[in-house]
Amino acid sequence: MTPRSNADWIRALSEPGADQAAALADLRTYLLRAALFTLHRHRGSSHHIGRSQTEQIAEESTQEALVSLLQHLKDFRGDSLFTTWAYTFAVHSALMAARRERWKDVSLDTVVGSPLTLPASTDDRRAIDPQRRALQVEALAAISEGIARLTVKQRQVLKALVFDEVPLDELARHWSTNRNALYKLLHDARRGLRAHLRAQGFDVQELLGQFGAGR
Amino acid sequence: MPPSTNGPEHPVTSSKIERLLQLVHRTADEELSCTECFDLLPQYVDLEIAGEAPDAKLPLFTQHLAQCGVCREEYETLRELARLDAEGRAPSVDDLRRSL
Repeated sequence: MTPRSNADWIRALSEPGADQAAALADLRTYLLRAALFTLHRHRGSSHHIGRSQTEQIAEESTQEALVSLLQHLKDFRGDSLFTTWAYTFAVHSALMAARRERWKDVSLDTVVGSPLTLPASTDDRRAIDPQRRALQVEALAAISEGIARLTVKQRQVLKALVFDEVPLDELARHWSTNRNALYKLLHDARRGLRAHLRAQGFDVQELLGQFGAGR
Repeated sequence: MPPSTNGPEHPVTSSKIERLLQLVHRTADEELSCTECFDLLPQYVDLEIAGEAPDAKLPLFTQHLAQCGVCREEYETLRELARLDAEGRAPSVDDLRRSL
C-alpha cells in the first residue's frame, strides 16, 4: 500500500482519477484489516460464528465502513492519523455486526419485558457483621425506591443495560432508536438515582464500600 | 453475554448492585454522547500512543468509557490495532484470514 500523509489521503479520495482509485483500493484494505482484526479479537465471545460467516461479516462491515467514511470525509479534522480515523469506522461496524450475530437468537422482548426486582438483602453468603448487613438492607430499599421513581423507559433501560447486560446498540436496534437516545435515558436514570440516594442521606461512595465482595 | 435461554432474567447479585453503584458514583452532570465519543476516539487513541496525556485535552472521554461498554469495547480494539500499526506490527489481511 502506498504511504500517504493525511493531506494525501484527502486529496486522493476527493478527486476523481487514477489516484482516487488507488486510494480507494488501499483504504478498503485498511478497513478490511480492521474488520478482520476486530472479529478475530472478539472471537472468544463469538465462538459460534464459523470461518466463512466471519469472513462475510468482515466484508459487509468493510463495505458499510467505507460508505460511512466517504460520507463523512469532509468532517475529517486531522486531529489523528487518517488511518486511525478510518479504522474507527471499521471497528465500529464490525463490533456492531458481531453483537448482532451474538444476540440474534435472544428474545429481547422477554429480557426487557420482565420486571426489575431487587432482593431485600444481597446474596453475599460470607460472614459479614450485622451492622453492615443492616446497612445493605437499608440501602437496597433506598435503591429500590429510587428505581421505582424513574420513568418506565428509564427503568427498562437501566435493567437491560446494567442488570441484563444487553449491549446498548442491540437495545437501540430492538427499540428502533439510536445509541445516543438510550445513553441519555440511562444518564437521566443514573442522575435520578444519585439524587434520590443523596436525599435519603446516603453517600454513594460509602455504599460502594459496603457492597464490595468480601470488603 | 446473552442469556443462554429466553427464560428467567439474570438474578440481581451483589456484584450487580456494586456495578450499579459504581455507575451512579461516576455519573457527571454533563456527559459525552456516544456520537461525541466516536468523533474523539481516533484523536484520543493517537495521543495515547504518542505518549501524550489525552485526558488533559479530552477530559470527558474516559468518563464516558466508564459508563458505556460498547464505546469502551471500540476504544480497546482501536487502541490495540493502532498501536500495532504504529509499531509496524499490524497483521495483514492474509494473516488475519489464516487465523480465523
